[in-house]
Amino acid sequence: MKLIEALEIIRTKTSDGAAGMRVELVCSFNPLHLQTFLSAWLRTSHQDRAIECNSGLYGDFLGNLPRLKQVRADAAVVAIEWGDLDPRLALRNLGVWEPDVYEDILKNARTRTIQLQSAIEAVSAKLPAIIVLPTLPLPPISHTPGSQAGTIELELRHCIAEFAIHAAQIPNVRIVNPERLDLLSPLGQRFDARSELATGFPYKLPHASTLAELISQLICPPVPKKGLITDLDDTLWNGILGETGIDGVSWDLEHHSHMHGLYQRSLRALASAGVLVGVASKNDNRVVEGALQRKDLILAAEHVFPVEANWGPKSESIRRILKTWNIGADAVVFIDDSPMELAEVKAVHPEIECIQFPKTDEQAVYELTARLRDIFGKARVSAEDRLRASSIRQAQVMAAENLGHGKAPAEFLKQAKAELSFSFVKHPLDPRALELINKTNQFNLNGQRYSEVSWQSLVNSPDSFLLIAAYQDKYGPLGKIAVIAGRVETGKVYVDSWVMSCRAFGRCIEHRCLQELFERFDAEEVVLNYEPTHKNGPVRDFLTEVLETDPVPLCSVRKEQFRKHRVEHWERVTEVSSE
Amino acid sequence: MNDTRQRLIRCFRAVFPSLAESEIPQATASTVESWDSVASVTLLATIEEEFGIEMAPEDMPDLISFEKMLSYLHAKGS
Repeated sequence: MKLIEALEIIRTKTSDGAAGMRVELVCSFNPLHLQTFLSAWLRTSHQDRAIECNSGLYGDFLGNLPRLKQVRADAAVVAIEWGDLDPRLALRNLGVWEPDVYEDILKNARTRTIQLQSAIEAVSAKLPAIIVLPTLPLPPISHTPGSQAGTIELELRHCIAEFAIHAAQIPNVRIVNPERLDLLSPLGQRFDARSELATGFPYKLPHASTLAELISQLICPPVPKKGLITDLDDTLWNGILGETGIDGVSWDLEHHSHMHGLYQRSLRALASAGVLVGVASKNDNRVVEGALQRKDLILAAEHVFPVEANWGPKSESIRRILKTWNIGADAVVFIDDSPMELAEVKAVHPEIECIQFPKTDEQAVYELTARLRDIFGKARVSAEDRLRASSIRQAQVMAAENLGHGKAPAEFLKQAKAELSFSFVKHPLDPRALELINKTNQFNLNGQRYSEVSWQSLVNSPDSFLLIAAYQDKYGPLGKIAVIAGRVETGKVYVDSWVMSCRAFGRCIEHRCLQELFERFDAEEVVLNYEPTHKNGPVRDFLTEVLETDPVPLCSVRKEQFRKHRVEHWERVTEVSSE
Repeated sequence: MNDTRQRLIRCFRAVFPSLAESEIPQATASTVESWDSVASVTLLATIEEEFGIEMAPEDMPDLISFEKMLSYLHAKGS
């Protein structure tokens, strides 16, 4: 993005009543164009938000950080440069660089990083903090020639790396990936000495733009996709199963098919991080079953569910997979080597992201694996992520048993030994709650999404409550699957947000959650901040059942009215509350 | 020549959005209220990037009006 484009973007008007987004930028250099680019990139990705990007007192780096604890913002950006570790590492300071002062510079750097860490810990307790590690080349401080790394340079990099490792483990802290920045902004084209001396802004404009774009991606990370559907022949492995047989397909160096192995390794890593991986292949199902049992497969059968191997259109296979996963096509990527198959799927499921597997281009396969990291990457992998695939398998088993025996849900759940646990613990705030709120579409009371700051504000209000429900039965645990946030006022419970994972459907958990609200707060009435969305049909159906009429915004359920919808078939219900 | 003028007007419009397009050719640092030091730095950086030039520090203090900037760009061959 050019500076003139950034200025034009931030000058465009937002609609009346647009929600605001406030970002605090902390750096010791003059923030100038970095501030402009950051506002523009945020505006580009959030056209409906009015962006306010503030910076503190220029030069007062450590002084500005504690001030952030007092401000209400959506995120803080802390951009560190080498001069922040010791002023002698900045161009505008003429402190000497002779070897005798190396130890003193290092001592200062260590002290400053400790102070920084402490300040960042305090700030991140209030709002998300994005950290930018020094992006500029170290000044030529060392006595060694430039081609040889000097000890002082290595020590300084070690010092900042240690700081980064600790900072990355602080909840609510995200660090801009230096490696991604290196790829996008060459090190030699970052520093602008003329601008640094004239204005105090040390970056060349392309570097400032690239850095701002990466920062904006960490302030508002894109929602990761949930599932990947892969073809088999000439994609997951090299060769056509129907022609070469089970032992004829390969994914190794010996058969010049190593990149298929790399692709498998990438899919296995995604599966272990909670990404659903399924197969849509035009093949004989029995042969595929045999191939997926090969012991040397990197992506083993246990990582893949479901497997749709048949001779019908792949769009049909994908429709069935989406139904099993219970997610929308827009949350899924389909990878196939055949442009024809991709086009057929795209025509039927236009929202699906279709990617051609570049089977003859090793470099492109390598780049595909990096792209998959961007598409599916998330800040952390929760216990629920690891459970996702297995719980979908369990749901299939459960549905089959239930249907097979024609049992009513209550009877079925009784024999399933269903256990629910409710937690009303607000501190420390469980990040899973906001994750569920922000990604659940179907059983979502109103579709309301929250920033981390607005969520903390809602939950931390004194009269508010937060309910997190976890479920397990004899088929295995589903983990934390429902979240309700609201407040209690004079015998009434007001529910602001209520979501439940689609994996938990069909178990009457929503009935038991509502019952829990009546019992826990001894309430006569529960008022629901219901808003219809184009996806929250399951909430509407549940409320229609309970209210015996179509739900409307701010509808309420009375205790008497709900009594006949109580469910008593739980093996065990536990409640956790530390407050 | 005309293209340079239009591109320079675009730079001014981006930095001084409150100026009407007809006011831009008469714009000077002393008549445009929002033309402060930050605006000056932003304007010069925008022009450098837009025209692919690097201004010498000694030239900058003189570039205090639209007309002077236009003459400067013409002299630079833009």
